[in-house]
Amino acid sequence: MSNAPAPGGKAGLRPQDRLATLVIAVLVMAVAVAAIIVAGDFPPTMLETDVGPARFPIIFAVALLVLCAILVFNTLRAPAAPPDDPAEAEPKASYGTVAIGIVATAVCLYAMEFVGYAIATPIYLFGLMWLMGRRNLLANAAIAAVLTALIYAAFAIALSVPLPVGSLFE
Amino acid sequence: MYELDMLLHGAQALLNQPMALLLALFGVTLGIIIGALPGLTATMGVAILLPFTFGMDPLSGLLMISGVFFGGIYGGSVTAILLKIPGTPAAAATAIDGYELTKKGQAGIALGTATFSSFLGGTASVFVLIFLAPVLARFALEFSASESFALAVFGLSIIASISGVSVIKGLISGFLGLLLATVGLDPMGGFPRYTGGYTELFNVPFIPVMIGLFAAAEAFKSLEDPQVRAGMAAALDRIIPPWHMFRRQLGNIARSSGLGIVIGMIPGAGADIAAFVAYNEAKRFSKTPENYGKGELGAVAACESGANGCTGGALLTMLTLGIPGDAVTAVMLGALTLQGLQPGPLLFKDHADLVFTLFAGMLVCYVFMLVVGLGSLRFMGRILQMPKSVLTPCILALCIVGTYAINNSMFDIWIMLAAGVVGYFMQKWDFPASPVVLALIMGPMAEANFRRALSLSNGSYDFLYTRPITAVLLTIAILTLMLPLLRRLWAQRSAGGPSTINPAAGSSRMGTPE
Repeated sequence: MSNAPAPGGKAGLRPQDRLATLVIAVLVMAVAVAAIIVAGDFPPTMLETDVGPARFPIIFAVALLVLCAILVFNTLRAPAAPPDDPAEAEPKASYGTVAIGIVATAVCLYAMEFVGYAIATPIYLFGLMWLMGRRNLLANAAIAAVLTALIYAAFAIALSVPLPVGSLFE
Repeated sequence: MYELDMLLHGAQALLNQPMALLLALFGVTLGIIIGALPGLTATMGVAILLPFTFGMDPLSGLLMISGVFFGGIYGGSVTAILLKIPGTPAAAATAIDGYELTKKGQAGIALGTATFSSFLGGTASVFVLIFLAPVLARFALEFSASESFALAVFGLSIIASISGVSVIKGLISGFLGLLLATVGLDPMGGFPRYTGGYTELFNVPFIPVMIGLFAAAEAFKSLEDPQVRAGMAAALDRIIPPWHMFRRQLGNIARSSGLGIVIGMIPGAGADIAAFVAYNEAKRFSKTPENYGKGELGAVAACESGANGCTGGALLTMLTLGIPGDAVTAVMLGALTLQGLQPGPLLFKDHADLVFTLFAGMLVCYVFMLVVGLGSLRFMGRILQMPKSVLTPCILALCIVGTYAINNSMFDIWIMLAAGVVGYFMQKWDFPASPVVLALIMGPMAEANFRRALSLSNGSYDFLYTRPITAVLLTIAILTLMLPLLRRLWAQRSAGGPSTINPAAGSSRMGTPE
């Protein structure tokens, strides 16, 4: 996310940064509007001296709308950054790996509800190591098993914190 | 001097009880481990050990629990600095600059500074507890709902300081956090807000959100790095900070410890609030505030001394008035009563020997914390030498297990994952995560106390300016919020034109003018 300063001393925005900022601002504004609409259904307070359950969420949501509007205005007004120098360009990020990692985490959580920590975690660790470029299957399996056991020992045995058993084994 | 004589007698008595000292050492070590593990807080550590104290003599039981308390508050800083996983909410502030120092290859110095600052802050707070207990406890009693509301607003005003490169984006993060904080039961009427019928959302699950925003988001970011095999070898070359470097932090540590002690005394305000307030004040007093957020040693020193200073403050009101300053001391209050001791002024009169032996033991606990902390840092630092392709999966597994450990709830883990994904995008587009966590901590405190204060004043808003402490805190809060704007105007005037961008003024790296 490095942006070279535009002529005149002002830092510039790359087109993709401008678009992302605008998308985020619009999403947050949508959340704020939804919060205000839902707060309209909150019951009025029974106490004369209270402001009720809706007052604070509405104040925060309105503040968010104002701040996002300022952000949108500033983002549209900001000058464009000159194109990146290919020689100084950072290595390209692998967003596919991030997406697979997030999906793998969700799958692990889903599986953990059924098969428990002891089965889901080593498979998850093994998969993530493979995803991150470690291709030695035997070593990965051993590391995954050891890490799973260490975490289990620290939480479940040493600190008596129960870990998910899974509905299949309950 | 009565207190000093009693303390010396207490120290002598303590020397004759090697088992109590051994249990204190065990408590401190366990506390550091618990603090370092995500999801396990000092409160949980104390609660876990509480049943084991039933069969012990009062001194041994209370010292072991104090050891867990002190170690737990400090332990959170280790993983916050090394991995950006704040083991405890109090370490969330430490993670901001601590992890930046690790990325610069200065993890050893950061950890060493955190350890010494924790020791100094904690020790100072115990001395205050010994010598000033009755006077300060009376001051704490002045805090009612309106003062607590003002303190929360003051805490929230720090958002401007921890916003990083863009104050507007920081404020958006902060208000998003405040809106999130309203999810759950309404603090006055108990009406469920934005819960969608899920009872799990009746209390804002802010620790899962914190773990997700800081640790999981960082792990997801590691996944996009094509050079994942490399670890950060040799990052812990030096642990003891050079004297010339540490000497500059002594004033900062003294101020932060004092703030921590005062905040610790206030019921409802804990080490997390103390750490953020100390961070803000350190930045305000710093000659180089523009370095905060980019790996400033002063920030680590302030957060750690503030958070550990809080321990003595929280114990102070608990022991002298029976009012726990935070969740840990609430559990400790239970331990005290289980031992047949009634907190309050009579405790110091009827059980003076035990109380001063306990105080001497608390000082020893902090010495243990220093020794165990410094001794284990090099071992903990080996974590950094692990290849990222092993470390990242390990961090994610710890996030999952640590989150589950809080309430034994799978629902919390899904919240953590959602927060991790949101945190990843926030990090990607320069929206800081710390204001969200700060707002989740302070938001409920602000709303509940404002509405309580309003009820106490029969619906009149006069309490905002008629109560001196409230008025002073609110004024400082407004000034704190205005400071970045004033700095920017000052910089523009000094430079003689509006076009100059000064990083100190909080201008955006992405060039979003504010």
